[in-house]
Amino acid sequence: MEFNLEAGKHLYDECSTLILPALSIGNVGQLAVDLLVASTKAERVGYLDDPNVVPCVGNDAYTPTPQGDLALPLEAYESPSSALTLIQQRSPVVKGMMIEFAKNLADFAVASGKKHIIILSSLDFGRWQTVDMSSGLQIYYLSNTNVDGSDEKCEKLGWKKMKEYDPNQKLWKYLSTLAEGNVTQDDTSPFEDDLGEEDYYPSLPFAAMFSCFKAKGLKVTCLLCYCSEGDNIPDAFHLAEAACNLAGLTPDTFKGSEGGWVIPFSWQSVYGPPPDMSLF
Amino acid sequence: MEDVLTELPPPSRFFLEELNNFTPPAPPVPSPFILLSNPTSKTPLQPSLFIIAISAPSLYLLHHVSPKTLIGTFILPEVPSSGNSVEPSLKDKSCNLYNISHGGKSVIVANFQYSVSSERSHAIAKTLIGQQIIPERVLILDSVQSRNFRGRISTDDTFAMKLETSVERKGIPLLKKLNYFPSGSVVEGLGAALLGRCQMKNIKATLCVSWPESGGSVTSIVKDLLLKDVLSDMEVKIDADGEAEGLKFGHTNHYLDSELYT
Repeated sequence: MEFNLEAGKHLYDECSTLILPALSIGNVGQLAVDLLVASTKAERVGYLDDPNVVPCVGNDAYTPTPQGDLALPLEAYESPSSALTLIQQRSPVVKGMMIEFAKNLADFAVASGKKHIIILSSLDFGRWQTVDMSSGLQIYYLSNTNVDGSDEKCEKLGWKKMKEYDPNQKLWKYLSTLAEGNVTQDDTSPFEDDLGEEDYYPSLPFAAMFSCFKAKGLKVTCLLCYCSEGDNIPDAFHLAEAACNLAGLTPDTFKGSEGGWVIPFSWQSVYGPPPDMSLF
Repeated sequence: MEDVLTELPPPSRFFLEELNNFTPPAPPVPSPFILLSNPTSKTPLQPSLFIIAISAPSLYLLHHVSPKTLIGTFILPEVPSSGNSVEPSLKDKSCNLYNISHGGKSVIVANFQYSVSSERSHAIAKTLIGQQIIPERVLILDSVQSRNFRGRISTDDTFAMKLETSVERKGIPLLKKLNYFPSGSVVEGLGAALLGRCQMKNIKATLCVSWPESGGSVTSIVKDLLLKDVLSDMEVKIDADGEAEGLKFGHTNHYLDSELYT
């Protein structure tokens, strides 16, 4: 992975917290990062060039009247006032290369001096084992602060540790060894038995990223919410707000028109054009 | 009507294997490479303009541009060349490289007459630009992909739009009259990989996407752009009737495009 700095730009030392999405159901992590970039008015500082990300290009996703500023698959933004670096990912990872991609991201985070990584991801509501009617839109988390995945600050914020995390479970252990470079992905021994329900979570992209950042000795927190495919914009707001809480920011200070939030311009067509009313 | 059970999910949604860390990677394939007709040619080649044709109208038109000289070919090892003719033909699965020269100015044209997967595009873009060919400016001619276009689009519409690298936008643009591709829609694949590579390498570049994918009217638009904006000072002609023949070329024939028939 190569980092290409934009002309005239530099990385800010004070932006030691990195927020980035993990590909997941409903693209919630990516939508949340869109919201954070637009609302913190983060400026793009460069592009990440990785052969494991499918190429795509588009027009500026944020400015109200786009002037043709290119949007590429993997972009780095910084907001010095919020002390945040944000990476936005706009296209999928090449099949079978997720762990390689996660390792590359971890290398970039180390090279650019990041201290805390916040990964935003959603989970499939169809996999939710325990329906807790009192929890509403509960945020779940996974942290490497403690071996069992727990973190006091996250608990105080009212979040629940992802109970499906078990560092001794075969696939979580396998991910750790892959992330540490101690085994290659050719080793099929974890897959000799039939895959069970507990194998779903370590198979997800956020788990690969969590393991790779952890292997580099970086502090990493995954923020997770359950959702289904559909209009996932409310889920994005929820996850973005959680990220702000963890990073010590309040959306009111963003001065946008939606409770402080600024809606990215590209969201006007995120679910396609409106229906053709001439039919009626 | 598409079968809702088996139709592909909308492009913003994922297949399960795309979200699985343990999906095995595809077997490695050999790297693509450029084969020049004259092995003693001075490299890297440094044309003032590098035109890469991907869309059916552009392939058709640039095949019929004259005068031009065949200078080499771009080899993608997994694309079989059996069935290709000795003389360049629009029916070949090939990517020939041509040179158009006039008054000290040199234009290289690459005609991509086979489709490439999005996953392979990054490697192709890296080989094509910045190694043996270092152009001053790049023009990529591709089509709008309806699955990635978030506006209302119909086959009755005919238009062309553009995206440009930052350094291209700072100067006088190559394609002056085109509007920008709208925000919220994306282009993927080889055209995107090429433009992205140019952006990272700080090369002036334009991606022109036209719609529909084939047909006489869109071929006329692209012909106009080539003759009036791109090659206006090159004294070339395009021996093609944009309206009539462009209508025929480019329609996908699923049987003839199959690798079974060579």
